[in-house]
Amino acid sequence: MARHNLGTVVSFEFTRTVKKRRFWIATLAIPVMLAIVFALVFISNQSTSSSADAQKNDKLNFSYVDASGLVNAQIAAAMGGSPASSESAALTAVKDGKLQALFVYPGDPAIGKIKIYAADQGIFKNGTYDAVAKQLLTVSAQQQVGQPKLTAVLNGTVSTESTTYKNGVEAGGWGTVVPPLLVLVIFYLTVALLANQMISSTLEEKENRVTEMILTTLNPTTLVVGKIISLFMVGVVQMVVFAVPTVVGYALFREQLAFPDFDLSHLSPDPLTMLVSALILLGGFILFTGLLVSIGAVMPTVKEAGTMLGPVMILLFVPLYAVSLIISDPSAPIVRIFTFFPLTAPVTALLRNAFGSLDPVSAWVVIAELLILGALALRLAVHLFRYGSIEYSNKLSLKTVFARKENV
Amino acid sequence: MEPASILRCGGNYAGGMTVTAAPTEPLVHIEGFKMNFGAQTVISNLSFDVHRGETFGFLGGNGSGKTTTIRALLGIYRPTAGILHIGGKVFNDDFGSRLGYLPEERGLYKKESVLDVMVYFGRLKGLSATAARDFSQEYLRRVDLSDKASVRLDTLSGGQQQKIQLGVTIMNDPELLILDEPTKGFDPVNRRLLMDIIEERKVAGATVIMVTHQMEEVERLCDRIILLKDGTAEAYGTIDQVQDLYGGRTVRLKFTGELPLSTQYTVSLREANYAELALADGADEAAVLRELVQAGVSVRGFSAAKRSLDDIFIQVYGEAGHQSTEAS
Repeated sequence: MARHNLGTVVSFEFTRTVKKRRFWIATLAIPVMLAIVFALVFISNQSTSSSADAQKNDKLNFSYVDASGLVNAQIAAAMGGSPASSESAALTAVKDGKLQALFVYPGDPAIGKIKIYAADQGIFKNGTYDAVAKQLLTVSAQQQVGQPKLTAVLNGTVSTESTTYKNGVEAGGWGTVVPPLLVLVIFYLTVALLANQMISSTLEEKENRVTEMILTTLNPTTLVVGKIISLFMVGVVQMVVFAVPTVVGYALFREQLAFPDFDLSHLSPDPLTMLVSALILLGGFILFTGLLVSIGAVMPTVKEAGTMLGPVMILLFVPLYAVSLIISDPSAPIVRIFTFFPLTAPVTALLRNAFGSLDPVSAWVVIAELLILGALALRLAVHLFRYGSIEYSNKLSLKTVFARKENV
Repeated sequence: MEPASILRCGGNYAGGMTVTAAPTEPLVHIEGFKMNFGAQTVISNLSFDVHRGETFGFLGGNGSGKTTTIRALLGIYRPTAGILHIGGKVFNDDFGSRLGYLPEERGLYKKESVLDVMVYFGRLKGLSATAARDFSQEYLRRVDLSDKASVRLDTLSGGQQQKIQLGVTIMNDPELLILDEPTKGFDPVNRRLLMDIIEERKVAGATVIMVTHQMEEVERLCDRIILLKDGTAEAYGTIDQVQDLYGGRTVRLKFTGELPLSTQYTVSLREANYAELALADGADEAAVLRELVQAGVSVRGFSAAKRSLDDIFIQVYGEAGHQSTEAS
C-alpha cells in the first residue's frame, strides 16, 4: 500500500503543479527573458558587424604629421592618408570640412601623445579616428620589425599550454574543476527554485484543513517523501526549461550571440570527485528539505513560515560571499567552520571539492554529517508534520509534541 | 442489535455498573484512555467498545472530549495513556482503506478540480484509477453535481463542498465509518442525503460512529450511545438503557382544568391544554391518572413515554451547555 501510495502522491503533486498556468508563467518567464536578451544581442551584433564592415570599406580621408619617423607612407596611403605639407594648413582644412582628420605624431610616441584633429561625428563614431591613428603607427612599427614572430611577441599574442601533475599523475586543470562546479550550480538552482514551493506545499494540507483526511488515509512519511520527490521533479522540469534557450543558442547561434567557444571535450570529470560532489548534493538536499518541511509543519501560514525561511537561505549561501577565501585559503578558520557547520557545509564543501582542497577525511566527515543530519531532519519533519498539521491555525508547541507518549 | 453493557458515574465501566457483556469482539475497543494537553486533562480514564455492524452515538457538549477521542483513536493524537484499538490493533494507515472518516474540520484541496481530488483520495484508499473515477462520476450524478466534475473545489458553494467530502468519505465502501459532527454546516437537503447514506452503510453492514449533538438523529439511527462529560463517560449503553438510567418516564397529557400539585410528578411542559409531567421515582402512571381525575381534571389524552435524549442531554450538560451546542 505504501509504495502504491507513494506513486499516487508523487503523480498527484507533480501533475497538479505542472498543470497550473501560474507555474508555467513563472517558469517560462526566465527563458523568455533570456530569449529576448539573446535576440537583442543577436540583432546588436549583426548591426555592429554591418557597421564594422562598412567602416572597413569606408576609407578615412586624413593627413598626418610624423615627427617620430615611424609612419610608413605606403601603409598610410593604403589607409587613406597622406603627409601634410603644413600642420596649420591641414588643421584649417579640417576646420573648413575639407579634410576629415589630421594626426600629429610626436617625436617619441612612447612619451608624447598622438594629437588628433578631426570633423566631429558624434561620441561613438569619433572613436574611429583614435583607432586609425593608433593602427597606422602599430602596423608601421610592425613593418619596421619585419619578423612576424617578434611582432607577435611584442603584441603579447602568445598562448600557453599547461600540464600539471598531482600524485605523479597528470592533473586535469579546469577540465576537472568545471564538472563538480556544475553540481554546485544544480544545488543552488534546486534550493532557489524549490524553497518556497516546499514550504507552501507542506502548509497546503494545514491551510486547506485536509490534514485529518490525509493522515487517516496515508502514512505521513509517504506524504512528505512523495512531496519532496514530486518537487524535485518539478525542479528538474524548471531547470530543463531554463536550459533550453541557452543550449539552443549555443548550438545554433554561437557566433551571432558571441558565446565563448567551450571545448567540451576538455572536460574530464574525476569519478571520485564527482561521487563526493553527488553525495554532498544529496545530503545537502535532504537536510534542506527536512528543515523546510519542519518549518512548514510548525508554522500556521506560508507568511509566517517565510520569516524562518530567510535565515536558512542566508546560512546556505553565505559561503558564496567568501568564495575567494575558500578557494585561495581553505585552511582559514572561517573556511573550516563553514565546511563543517551543517547549513554552510554543502556549498563550502562543494566548492572545496571542485577546487581540490577538500581532503578525503573531511569529505567523508561532511558527507556523513549531512546524510545523518538530513535523515534526522526528515524524521523530525515527518513527526512535526504528523502532530503539527493538526494545529490548523496555531503555531505548534515543540514541547507538546515531544511530551506526547506512544499509544500502547 | 445485541444488548450491550451500560454504565453511569465516573466513566470507568470496569469499576462501575456493568450490566451485560458484549457478545462479539468489538471493532473499536477503548480502555483506560487518558489524554492530557500540557497540564490540562481532557480525557480521564475513558473506556467503551463499539461492536461490528452497530451505529454508535458519541455524544457530549462542546469541549467534552469527543473529537479528541476520535483523533486519538485514529492516531492523529498520541494518547497520554490507555488502549485504543480498531480491529484489535492500534490504527495505522493499512486500515485507512477500510475507514471512512468525515472530520469535524472540513476541507479538501480547494485549488484542484472536483474529479481530480475524488480520484486522488480513491487511489489513496486503494481503489484503481478507473474504479475511483467511475465511483466519483456516479456519486456526482447522484448528488446533482455531475456538471461540476472539472471545476475547482473553491468555486463550489459550502454545501456542495460538503457533498464532495461526504463522497470522498464513503467511496471505499468503508467497514468503519466515523462521522464527527456530520450535520455541521449541512442544509436540510444535505442532511437528508447524509442520513440516507448512513442508513445505506448500516444496511451494507458497516459500523458507524456518529459524533453529534443532534439527538433526533441519534434516536433515529443509533443502536448504542455514550455520553461524554468533562472527559469521562456519563452514560453508556442502548438508548433505552440510558433513558431508563435517567428515570426517563414522562406522561403526555391532553386536558382541561387545573393541574393539582402532586408529589408523584412535576410539570416539565405546560401549554394551553397540553402538559408533560415528569414522573417521580416510584410513581405509577395509573395512580397519577387517578389523582388527576379525582382533582376534577378532564383528561382527553394520556400516554406514558420515556424521557427524550434531548431532555437527558439538557439534564446532563445544563441549559447553557445545550444552547451552546445548538448554536454550534
